[in-house]
Amino acid sequence: MIDSAIVREFLEAGRSASCPVVDLHAHYGHFGGIYMPNHTPEQMLATMERCGVERIVSAGHTALVDMVRGNAEIAEIAARHPGRWYAYLTYNPNYSDEGRQELERYEGRAAFVGLKFHPSHHTYPLTGEAYRPALEFAAARRLLVLTHTWGGSAYDRPELLEQVAQRYPEVDFLAGHSGHGQFEECMAVARRCANVYLELTAAYAVGGLIEEMVRQVGAHKIIFGCDLPWFDPHYAIGCVIMADISDEARRAILRDNALRLLMPRSRHEP
Amino acid sequence: METLSYFDCNVSIGRPAHGLIRPCPSAAELLAEMDRLGVERALVRHALMSEQSPAVGNPALAEAIADQPRLVGSWAILPPQTDELPPAPEFFRQMAAANVRALWAFAEQHRYLLDRFTFGGFLDEVAERRIPLLIPRDAGGPRPPDTWRMLTRLLEQYPDLTLILAHHGPWGEDRFFRPFLEHYPRFYLDISRYELDCGLRDLVARYGPERLLYGSHFPEHSMGGPRLMVARAEIDEEARQAIAGGNLERLLAEVML
Repeated sequence: MIDSAIVREFLEAGRSASCPVVDLHAHYGHFGGIYMPNHTPEQMLATMERCGVERIVSAGHTALVDMVRGNAEIAEIAARHPGRWYAYLTYNPNYSDEGRQELERYEGRAAFVGLKFHPSHHTYPLTGEAYRPALEFAAARRLLVLTHTWGGSAYDRPELLEQVAQRYPEVDFLAGHSGHGQFEECMAVARRCANVYLELTAAYAVGGLIEEMVRQVGAHKIIFGCDLPWFDPHYAIGCVIMADISDEARRAILRDNALRLLMPRSRHEP
Repeated sequence: METLSYFDCNVSIGRPAHGLIRPCPSAAELLAEMDRLGVERALVRHALMSEQSPAVGNPALAEAIADQPRLVGSWAILPPQTDELPPAPEFFRQMAAANVRALWAFAEQHRYLLDRFTFGGFLDEVAERRIPLLIPRDAGGPRPPDTWRMLTRLLEQYPDLTLILAHHGPWGEDRFFRPFLEHYPRFYLDISRYELDCGLRDLVARYGPERLLYGSHFPEHSMGGPRLMVARAEIDEEARQAIAGGNLERLLAEVML
């Protein structure tokens, strides 16, 4: 059996006192084709407690459809849980005028630490002109941007992220799902761009991928996320901690890297 | 300290043509990974069974797991009309000799219809012998509904089949598979990709733990995810042991060869 203090803690207690987890890719609420038995903020907080997830940064499912309604919801939810629940402001390029208003409306709100883009869902390319106001806004304030990336997508494949990341070096980009299906290309982008990080949602399950990311890119560029309330944090954590990597790398991926990105942007502590 | 015994229902060995980040060519490498993760036993198939032919892959699997008591074999089937595999009595005799106690059907990949029209009495015999038939989620075609529609037809024709749906994927399949749990008492689910938050707790509360099988789909996927998920799911210890290995142990013990 793996000789790791972190593995032992999770197997025996379901959580690690020495390594509380920080998840930078979360949502909440119902969503389309998936049944989620545990989707309310209160249910998610119970899951976080059970799995030793200390903090999440979340974009509402509502906001992926109706940005105005969803951003208002998450502003309210995050405000109730300082130091525990942070928010991404979702920007939909198909409504760029309203998007600009959203950026202005929530500027300076303590719970918001970055922007959420989902080019595939919005069927609009990450490199398109309508993303420019949001990217300039993020660059001026050095925000995080979590963007969905998917292999072969006309909207958010890794090459498109690289173009945008080079144009906006002030922004730290999280490549959501690590360009799922184009992992080699996404790892290459993360190597070439200091401001691109590999976010693990769904990618963590691919056999041997975490070891390969650590080898090719380095543990310091890998960020934990699990799309909560989609995926059980224990499933995602299990993939990370039982990968053939060091405890130092486990801790970097599950906690340290995220805190390094999150805390300088946070004014949302209790 | 954990005392559960894990029996993985879904692992493979070999060198798939499409390549894997970390392939697992041999039984020795599989056993090493099982030891690293604390997994006691596994039901194994060989990549050659699906990717080349069961006529090649089945014997390759038998050779690979000979003298490996922790590994139980699974073979793939083909329609009887082309005589590529031995006829039924001899096929089942060879399964027994090779410690093979389950079957796979790769219908889409091997280009056949998995139904009574094609398989006739062969699948009746598989059902009578209580041999589990594993179906990968892409067995009926690339889109999820293709396979679920295929299974609807198959189980209408063979309601007593012991059927295990394997690695159905994480993107939300409950609305597809729950009706099968409701209608067919011998429908089982490999939970290797059932990543849904609180999904196991929800399923156990509604259907009981008896038809949920721990699996990993290793080496395509990590053994670690389902391993920790089962270890820490909010279910009682009896249900946990059933899912971790007890259910598969019971299923394989029922097989009559």
